[in-house]
Amino acid sequence: MAYSDKVIEHYNNPRNVGSLDKKDPNVGTGLVGAPECGDVMKLQMKVNPDTRIIEEAKFKTFGCGSAIASSSLATEWVKGKTVEEALAIKNTDIVRELSLPPVKIHCSVLAEDAIKAALTDWKKKQGDAEAKSAEPATAASH
Amino acid sequence: MSVTQTQRDETGHASGTKCWNCQAPSAGVHFCAACGKIQPLPTGTDYFAFFGWPEKLSLDSAQLESEFHKLSWKLHPDNFVRASEFERDLSLNRSSELNDAYRTLREPISRMEYLLLRRGLRKEGTTKQQAPPELLEEVFELNESLDELREARAEGGDLAALREPLDAAQKNFQEKLEEVDAELSQIGQEWDAALDAGADEAKQQALLARMNLALNRRSYIRNLVASVQKELADA
Repeated sequence: MAYSDKVIEHYNNPRNVGSLDKKDPNVGTGLVGAPECGDVMKLQMKVNPDTRIIEEAKFKTFGCGSAIASSSLATEWVKGKTVEEALAIKNTDIVRELSLPPVKIHCSVLAEDAIKAALTDWKKKQGDAEAKSAEPATAASH
Repeated sequence: MSVTQTQRDETGHASGTKCWNCQAPSAGVHFCAACGKIQPLPTGTDYFAFFGWPEKLSLDSAQLESEFHKLSWKLHPDNFVRASEFERDLSLNRSSELNDAYRTLREPISRMEYLLLRRGLRKEGTTKQQAPPELLEEVFELNESLDELREARAEGGDLAALREPLDAAQKNFQEKLEEVDAELSQIGQEWDAALDAGADEAKQQALLARMNLALNRRSYIRNLVASVQKELADA
């Protein structure tokens, strides 16, 4: 099967490969997989808690060219967006941008899932941080 | 076998069809029992039914081999040179379907994948497969360790020193593959027993879901085994 030029371009020059500190409360990590083809994709985002703007995004994907291109594109798109804007990205947007054939649609689904998983993790961390700062007060009331 | 075949007829696989030639209710999947003419395949005939079998996973490979050869012989286009165009087409298409059916059922893994496809648990490209987070963590870390070895070698690392972790990784992945294969074989046996016992749809779906999960795990592990073997071959 032939890959589109855009897939090949992302595959040869993947954007934002790497990782962010998983323990940082402002970093959300999403780890997802597509068992049909054995792919696994990790997407991380650093979000400014005040502006809710995604300041940094990194990915590492073990998989086919389409999976790598989908995650590379996803990191490019989310940067500078707010959490809500990033959550609005649909896998069909990725399919269109990369001209993915039907058998590779699941790669784009994976990238959308990774964005959602990373931001869910970030929200959970933010909630935890708030919960923790509220804890002493609760303890004191006893 | 005849009991199961009857049940399958009731689910619509081969029932209600009449021989196009002599109008007799055609008992066989491929040929009319009365006049012997080749028949169109009833819609929805799966590869198991193609051979007249239930959807069981334990399959005698010698029997599959012999049925395949028997049918190849009977369906071969050479036998239909003087037949009508309709029959010649049937023979040609059926012969290629026979090859697909044989190839799919021959391997235990592709047999299972086919069953899951037929039962709607797998669909190319669309159905999202869920993988448990622990498995993803594990697979990601294993991939990363493999990547580190790859990079170390690309940077001219000491090959002898790298061989050891690669060998260890291979042993580890190979053991995991054997584990998951044993698990799949166990689930397969349970599936066959459930079919024999006439288990209800819920029970069947539960078994298929377990099968699907184990097969997903196997895909990951098989990829890792292949990657590490490639590294070792290059080392």
